[in-house]
Amino acid sequence: MSEERFLTLAAAYGADLARWPAGERAAAQAFVAANPQIVEACLTAERLLDAALERYGARDATSLLRTRIIAAAPRERATGARWRWLTGAGLGLGLAASCAAGVAAGYTLGHPAVARLMEPPAADAGQLGAVGDPGGDAAAS
Amino acid sequence: MTSGPADPDDELVRRAGQGDAAAVQALVARKLRRVLALAERMLGDPSEAEDVAQETFFRVWRNAARWRPGVARFDTWLHRVTLNLCYDRLRRRRERPVAEPPETPDPGPAPDRGLLAADVGVRVRAALQALPPRQREAIVLCHYQELGNIEAADVMGVSVEALESLLSRGRRALKSALADLAGPD
Repeated sequence: MSEERFLTLAAAYGADLARWPAGERAAAQAFVAANPQIVEACLTAERLLDAALERYGARDATSLLRTRIIAAAPRERATGARWRWLTGAGLGLGLAASCAAGVAAGYTLGHPAVARLMEPPAADAGQLGAVGDPGGDAAAS
Repeated sequence: MTSGPADPDDELVRRAGQGDAAAVQALVARKLRRVLALAERMLGDPSEAEDVAQETFFRVWRNAARWRPGVARFDTWLHRVTLNLCYDRLRRRRERPVAEPPETPDPGPAPDRGLLAADVGVRVRAALQALPPRQREAIVLCHYQELGNIEAADVMGVSVEALESLLSRGRRALKSALADLAGPD
């Protein structure tokens, strides 16, 4: 690193080499090791300015400011959540109702009387009459 | 698209945008002090800095759900938003007729006592405020916000060489204003 470049970087970034561009730090360290007198003369004023700048500290945010900011943040929309719940509940109820209907249908269709009702229609009018008349079963026998 | 390591803020911003309360709290804890410090040092006025910090976060909340990772670093974007709001305020100050001069501390050392740390802070604040805004911005970004030179230049929209020139001129002016503290130039 040239002396000119070292002085330029010191004037821009101050005395702390950790604040210098990462890609130039190693060369700067080598320059410091090789030229202690130039470095000391150059960095003294920068070091004093750095120390003065550090005295201008940052304040913490007040809790009021923090609260105002957080209160304005996005939230999970309550209506959306409710709709999601309703959709889920509706789906569950629908499935339960379907199951119940299926069970009921299975039970009903399994009943002998209904099974007979479901038999293919007989070709003769007498069986048709028996189907149409709940008491026809006994009459036919 | 930016290259390099993943942005450590991306996930938090995404979750905050979805209304995750814990992410909102974490993002505020991570960034508010930083945003407030940037605004305060740019404006030299704690009350205006609070307004800017609040407006900055309102913009974060409005944009968080649409945040696209990899396009820009969140911290860089946050600095840009804060600085734009600061410049709006500085512009308004110039346009507004000043009824009475703003309260500025006496830049000289106290005659009858040694300088306390608080006095030095007040004098540094006054010296920073006396700089041209772009020089102040360069010093605040690099020294106080500790941005790297490439990121600071990116935030300011200038080359690294231009950034270094702004920094050098700014520091030279500060050394002159604070000569009794910082020693001879």
